[in-house]
Amino acid sequence: MKQPTLQIKNLTKYYGKIKGVENLSLQLYAGEIFGFIGPNGAGKSTTIRCIMHLINPTSGQILINDKEFKQDDTETKSIIGYLPSEIHLYDDLTVKEMLNYHEGFYKKDIHKRRCELTARFQLDETKRIEDLSLGNLKKLGIILAFMHEPKILILDEPTSGLDPIMQNVFYDLLKEERAKGNLILYSTHILSEISKICDRVGIIKNGCLIKLEEIHTDKSQSTSLVITSPQINEIIRDIQAVVHSQDNTTASLQCELPHDILIKKLAQYSVEHIQIKQPSPEEMFFRYYEQENETC
Amino acid sequence: MLKRELKINLKSFIIWTSILIGLFAIVYLVYPSVFNSDNKQMIDNMMEMLPQEMLKAFNMDLSSIETAYGWLKTEGFVFVLLISGIYSGILGSQILLKEENDKTIEYLNSLPITRSNIAFSKILCGIIYISLMILCVGVFNFIGLSLSGEFDRIAFILLSITPLFSSVVIFTICLFLSTFTHKTKKTIGISLGIVFAGYFLNIISEMGTSVESLKYLSVFTLADIRNVIMSESLNLWLVMLSFLLAMMFLTGTFLRYNHKELV
Repeated sequence: MKQPTLQIKNLTKYYGKIKGVENLSLQLYAGEIFGFIGPNGAGKSTTIRCIMHLINPTSGQILINDKEFKQDDTETKSIIGYLPSEIHLYDDLTVKEMLNYHEGFYKKDIHKRRCELTARFQLDETKRIEDLSLGNLKKLGIILAFMHEPKILILDEPTSGLDPIMQNVFYDLLKEERAKGNLILYSTHILSEISKICDRVGIIKNGCLIKLEEIHTDKSQSTSLVITSPQINEIIRDIQAVVHSQDNTTASLQCELPHDILIKKLAQYSVEHIQIKQPSPEEMFFRYYEQENETC
Repeated sequence: MLKRELKINLKSFIIWTSILIGLFAIVYLVYPSVFNSDNKQMIDNMMEMLPQEMLKAFNMDLSSIETAYGWLKTEGFVFVLLISGIYSGILGSQILLKEENDKTIEYLNSLPITRSNIAFSKILCGIIYISLMILCVGVFNFIGLSLSGEFDRIAFILLSITPLFSSVVIFTICLFLSTFTHKTKKTIGISLGIVFAGYFLNIISEMGTSVESLKYLSVFTLADIRNVIMSESLNLWLVMLSFLLAMMFLTGTFLRYNHKELV
């Protein structure tokens, strides 16, 4: 059985009486990009900050390679690359000095990887950090998170501020990291990114994990339909569809049946008009944001 | 990490040390001309008019201010105590907290180092700079006094060391207090309050037996200049107390910092 690289067990974090996350459990595996999505204030950053020991969980455990990840476990820290959503670095340093400073914390030689990444992201090492634009600061943050060749990458809204060309460079880099067998926890609220790069996705809302989905499996199973038929009520019952809207003869539906079974079932009825649409992951996630119950 | 800490705190060290050295440089330059035989009598008369408690508060009952060394023993070391105390207070309240205030802690915490390592490097840097400030001022005064005339070298060295005890304790108190917040602006006021309140309590405590117990509330009691002037030795009990207090606040700092929420 495949062992998870990163496990979050029953994580709960309360800020006083305010809930950050509650009873959140996740298992993430090597070689996957796990999308962690949710609206603002859903608890994504709280979860990540608990993993990184920036804040203390109220209860719960973080395990890395089956071992509890303690705050001062420097060996485990050395295999983690972390990119916070807002990057704050030392303004008095130049990019070169910052990268040199970072290199100094790692036992292995990471200079070659640093050079590769700075060339790939076209980052000028002579600039002072205080003079960097938001996009360039993001590039520096990415290089700092990746340059020590971590096995686990925890990325909180990594593409905000990057131009579309650099976003593609970044997506390619993520795919390479996945191919190397590294785990990537990718937190974002940009839904279109998820379908582009993620293998699995976890949806968090009001501090609770409300859905875990495999991106590709979902694509093959869920179908959006608009059907006009005098037998619309029978059709809805037969194909076990979720109704989004309905009038006398027309209904907008969501059906989870495989396509061949769906078509065979529809063939038994009188159908005046049919429109079949594959919902994009964005649409699906958006529905979860709107629909799911507010409690865990 | 220590190297970077030393680099970023160098500027404030130079500024605060320069203030003290500049002050003493002015004293050494103007003292011979101000304190001549013409106005000596006038100053002596003025001193006689002051109450004994007031003279005691500034150690003027033990030493005359006729020479630069005499001035140093009375008012001069008060400046060293106050300015090194303010510098230590500000340094203590900022050195650890700056990373949280500037939000760079999120980066620093992700590196393969322990929180104790982070705190240790910063504390060591603070203690190095406080000691260096006391040393620089001491060396400068030694040179200044050597050029001004005769003085008791042993007593001077002991006097120069005493501000170190109060300053290190102020540094550790402010460091400990800084672990209760995330913003440096909240702690700077408190640290300056500790220094000034401590100084005034110390002065008031010298003014009579009824208020003598106030000295136990002042951190400046640890820098017992009066005892050094009188006995030419350090009060070992106060040295040990300074060490114990510093250790107590440092332990508290490490314990609090290791459990602190950093963002």
